[in-house]
Amino acid sequence: MPLVALLASACGSGTPAVSLVPVTGFTPDATLLAAAQKEGTLNVIALPPDWCNYGPMITAFTGATGLKVNSITPDAGSGDELTAITSNKTNAGPQAPDVVDVGYSFGAQAVQQGLLQAYKVSTWSTIDPKTVDPNGMWYGDYYGVLSFAVNTSVVKDVPADWSDLLKPEYAHQIALAGDPTASNQAIQSVEASALGNGGTLDNAQKGLDFFKQLQQAGNFVPTVGGQGTLASGETPILITWNYLAQSYADALKGNPAVQVVIPKTGRFGGIYVQGISAYAPHPNAAKLWEEYLYSDAGQIGWLTGYCYTTRFADLVSRNAIPAALKAKLPDDTGVVFPSADQLTASKTLITGNWKSEVGVSVATAKP
Amino acid sequence: MTAPAQMLVQGAPKARPARRRNLNVLGLAPFVIFAALFLLIPVVFLVVGSLQDAQGNPTLANYGDLSQDFIIDAYVTSIRVSLVTAIAGGLFGFLLAYAVILGGLPSFLRPALMTFSGVASNFAGVPLALAFIFTLGHVGLVTKFLLDSFGIDMYGSGFNLYSEVGIEATYMYFQFPLMVLIMAPAIDGLRQDWREASANLGATPAEYWRHIALPILTPTLLGTMILLFGNSFGAQATAYELAPQVNLVTLVISAQMSGDVLHNVGLGYSLAVGMIAIMAVAIFFYTLLQRRSERWLR
Repeated sequence: MPLVALLASACGSGTPAVSLVPVTGFTPDATLLAAAQKEGTLNVIALPPDWCNYGPMITAFTGATGLKVNSITPDAGSGDELTAITSNKTNAGPQAPDVVDVGYSFGAQAVQQGLLQAYKVSTWSTIDPKTVDPNGMWYGDYYGVLSFAVNTSVVKDVPADWSDLLKPEYAHQIALAGDPTASNQAIQSVEASALGNGGTLDNAQKGLDFFKQLQQAGNFVPTVGGQGTLASGETPILITWNYLAQSYADALKGNPAVQVVIPKTGRFGGIYVQGISAYAPHPNAAKLWEEYLYSDAGQIGWLTGYCYTTRFADLVSRNAIPAALKAKLPDDTGVVFPSADQLTASKTLITGNWKSEVGVSVATAKP
Repeated sequence: MTAPAQMLVQGAPKARPARRRNLNVLGLAPFVIFAALFLLIPVVFLVVGSLQDAQGNPTLANYGDLSQDFIIDAYVTSIRVSLVTAIAGGLFGFLLAYAVILGGLPSFLRPALMTFSGVASNFAGVPLALAFIFTLGHVGLVTKFLLDSFGIDMYGSGFNLYSEVGIEATYMYFQFPLMVLIMAPAIDGLRQDWREASANLGATPAEYWRHIALPILTPTLLGTMILLFGNSFGAQATAYELAPQVNLVTLVISAQMSGDVLHNVGLGYSLAVGMIAIMAVAIFFYTLLQRRSERWLR
């Protein structure tokens, strides 16, 4: 095994032997591993440990390669990640990210600003071709479906679909997980509600109409919902990605009980994409990280975090996913993915009109 | 008068050693370096950035974009929220400080209040927003307590934490203590003998306040209120977590700079330059008021 050989050579050369823990499903290419180990560190950005299981994946990666992973600002947004690359173009220090994980529409934006370098992982051919840039600048990594995280100790009659949310019994209970003028998740929640309200991916106006109705019915709580507000009962119905909802349910351990509902209609998939920074201080470490993420080990890692991955079909066809894990993944039949143009058009519509149509100023009628 | 006698009267001309002047300048250096690094240079970057577009070409479009309706509304709302919290926070904070220092209350209250204020004036952001949600939200502790014990339905009577009023209430949590902390030394400066002296001379309490206490305190009061205004104007994390619906400039800026959706960095810079301009205007008015309130000193 290449790992053992490297260990032996490390011992022989007098450098302290790093005891590497091999990970099933990830066999790093020896040359790339050696080059990465010479760099010694990997700078990642905006990876919260409970997002798609990143915490354990980073630990596994460090164990398998001996590279130190420096996690910059885990709570940053996609815009922050691009800014981090731009501001650190000439700086090879710990603030310069090597790899980014950004919202779908940010891939093209990053290419336009010259922030990424092309790299095609060894499993490139098995990645869903609809989710990647043909030039290899960015590549879809995982996606989630927008779902309702429901605190069942407060909400007795669990809603099954978008139209259920308008029922008067859910007064002051429904919240988004961000602000639709700033958060990818929130704006795509509005787009998703358009699908459940008779709209299409091309016209998010139905989504704005839906939230206006929700606001006027008094069901919408205009705050940023999260695990805390879900648990306290302040926002017992939270519209968020299924992987976040499921990780909240796990973290709360039944206190209170949380049910994750994928709406019957209007199943909206949001893809995030990976990319290597064109100014990466540790390009080989970055490439090794991408190899890990797109190896079976990395894919199973994301799946453990309830995130569907872009190599899912390939893994299923080779029976590479343990049945117990597969059972935990939500049913995503009928999920739709917007194209980049549809995302941009909806973004413009929703961010431009949210405050005027749905904002607080609507509820308190201004002269 | 003879020349030597004149010199005796005026005192011998002092020889100024050049060394002493250089040392004085050195003393100023840490402040100048700090101000340059954290105030001046960032402002320069802001202004330069606001004049560029996404590709780095010079443009005035970012300032043109400021005339959009929702941005003007954002500035108006931010100024309104900041004025309310500065004035109300200032007045109540002042009364609180006065009560504890000169109000004849038990003496242990003052150090307790000062310590609490030291902590509370820095308690802002996401934890503060969540604390208010958990106490004053729809199912908050205080809301439920009032409903169950006294039958008072806060939300039924129109209160809504997730609104401009809610944000103002939340900001008060750090504005009051800040006012208390800063006014305390000024109130200490109001000596008890002055009060007694004015009473001896026949002044009523109202006259004492109008002619003695307020003129002494007003410069500090005004200065602290401007500080509160700036403090509130620049707050972002609290408002984002609590009620991002409310249209504040800081939320618009953060949406441009770090949001997942919009990403017009140039507009963010021009919004920030707008904020600096507004603060400059506020400080200008403060200086005018300050001059007027200090007239009696000259």
